[in-house]
Amino acid sequence: MSDGSCLVELRGVSKGFGAGSTRVEVLGDLDLDVAEGQLLAVVGPSGVGKSTLLHLIGLLDRPDEGDLMLDGDDVELLDGEARAHLRNRMIGFVFQHHYLLDELDARDNIGLPLRIAGKGAAAAHARADELLEAVSLTDRAHHFPDQLSGGEQQRVAVARALAMKPRLLLADEPTGNLDRENSEQVFDLVRELHLLAGLTSIIVTHDEELARMCDGTFRLAPAGQPFEYV
Amino acid sequence: MSAELHLARRYLVGLRRRTHVATVTLISMVGLGLGVLALVVTLALLEGFQSSIREEIVAKAAHARVLPVDGRRLADPARLVSVLQAELPQVDMVQVVRGTCLVSSLTDAVPASVAGRSDALDVGIDRILAARLGIGVGDEIQVISPRQRLTPMGPLPVRMRTEIAGVQAPEPGAETGSVSLPLELAQRLLWGRPVVEMIELRDSSDPWRLGARVRAALAGEGVRVQNLEELHRPLLLALALERVMIFVAVGLMLVVAALNLLCNVAMVAAEKRIDLSVLAGIGLPPAALRRLFLLLGVGIGMVGSTVGAVIGVAVAMVLDRTGALSLPRGVFVVSSVPFRVEPSMVAFVMAVALVLALAASWFPSRLIARREPAEGLRYE
Repeated sequence: MSDGSCLVELRGVSKGFGAGSTRVEVLGDLDLDVAEGQLLAVVGPSGVGKSTLLHLIGLLDRPDEGDLMLDGDDVELLDGEARAHLRNRMIGFVFQHHYLLDELDARDNIGLPLRIAGKGAAAAHARADELLEAVSLTDRAHHFPDQLSGGEQQRVAVARALAMKPRLLLADEPTGNLDRENSEQVFDLVRELHLLAGLTSIIVTHDEELARMCDGTFRLAPAGQPFEYV
Repeated sequence: MSAELHLARRYLVGLRRRTHVATVTLISMVGLGLGVLALVVTLALLEGFQSSIREEIVAKAAHARVLPVDGRRLADPARLVSVLQAELPQVDMVQVVRGTCLVSSLTDAVPASVAGRSDALDVGIDRILAARLGIGVGDEIQVISPRQRLTPMGPLPVRMRTEIAGVQAPEPGAETGSVSLPLELAQRLLWGRPVVEMIELRDSSDPWRLGARVRAALAGEGVRVQNLEELHRPLLLALALERVMIFVAVGLMLVVAALNLLCNVAMVAAEKRIDLSVLAGIGLPPAALRRLFLLLGVGIGMVGSTVGAVIGVAVAMVLDRTGALSLPRGVFVVSSVPFRVEPSMVAFVMAVALVLALAASWFPSRLIARREPAEGLRYE
């Protein structure tokens, strides 16, 4: 589904945690291009840095070395406020756990990115209702997260990620906590919305079967070993 | 409504959902509320007592005094009285001479202050002197002046024997007994001629500003005017100092409550670590995250201090109106513990509580805003 231009470019990106003898290098000298419109699966063993990679692309963290470009712009020079603005307008994030706010119902959780963008309650509610319908949860609008099933929680989280009509969707093992049936439902939903909204999506997954359904697979290896891009 | 205000409101309204955060928030509110309640009730009690003292002063003492700049006596009291009568016709004026004499009864003798007043018609003594000499209305006393006169037997102190016509309450703060005489009698006793040492003035409609008005009326007359505050400066200063010390001492409770709030906000920040990372992840800027926690602290402060103030005011008013805390008769000027709620004092206490709540939430909010969003998600 790629149209050829790169939305995400990583050049020589390294990231480690800790200091001194306890320092762990997680990503080393990583290059990656993700084309506009692509649905890319990122796979690899636990602890290899899949989530870290997603956090770096999603501007939730900064690389120790290397360059990260989104839509051709170097984002490393941006300050915290500008990065937050970019996350709000351009990137949608789905986490392994739903990470919905307990104090907000499904509708408010979905509308939150619009509130952050300065839209009023009416606009946030209208968009939330639209997305609730898209994820078939209209009747759960006023349910709080603890009143929803695991699959429903994750569908609300997907809807929240799409609230601001982002160009880039990042999903960190969105089906990792779900049973097979719910897992397939959520993955199908992500794929369907990816196509409908014309998104560029990067999905971290352990599930090789789901990865095969994507446009491409990036296989992360422990630092020092070669990466595989299929 | 901004996103951070919306979230802060939902965190506070979320109290109904009985989460751990709700419990911690409730504890902070109760702490601040108790601090405000204690301060409001204590200051109302203090204000009640101090007001009764001030009212006692206003009711019994002079509101302003005209004195000579040098020496003990006024140069032209008649002129001063006519000027004052012309300028301040509503004000009560009394010409006074004062001194210390030895006052004796049949059994004892004690030094006492003697005041001759132009409004006194009979001889009176205060309760202190009556108690010391064991005398009352109808008894006879001898007042012996320090002024002497030459007699065939040599210089002898001027003395006067008189019958007591009344016994009055002592002046506020008085420790020695006093005798009140008609002016002419006192002038003969203390000076031997018609001298006036001071003019005392009273205006119950505006006692605290009478001094300034008298000063304006007697400008250029070469006299010194003392207002009500100057006349009772040590006592009023002591009352003001007492108020400050009590506020600081009881206010420490508010500081402890604010420290508790700081710990609780930090605990909420730790517990909501993931939520905060997610909020940052969906685009809430660091400044808005900081504001969210400041709003949370201020919200806790506002609810806690408002509830504390309302309960405090209610407790003070009920105790005052019912007179539930009675005092021994004759020892105090009031029969029960008085409470007086000053709206400005309540507003000040609430403002202090809010400022402390803001300061307590500022530190954790600053730490939160500095973190990279991924920090809260890394080990999940």
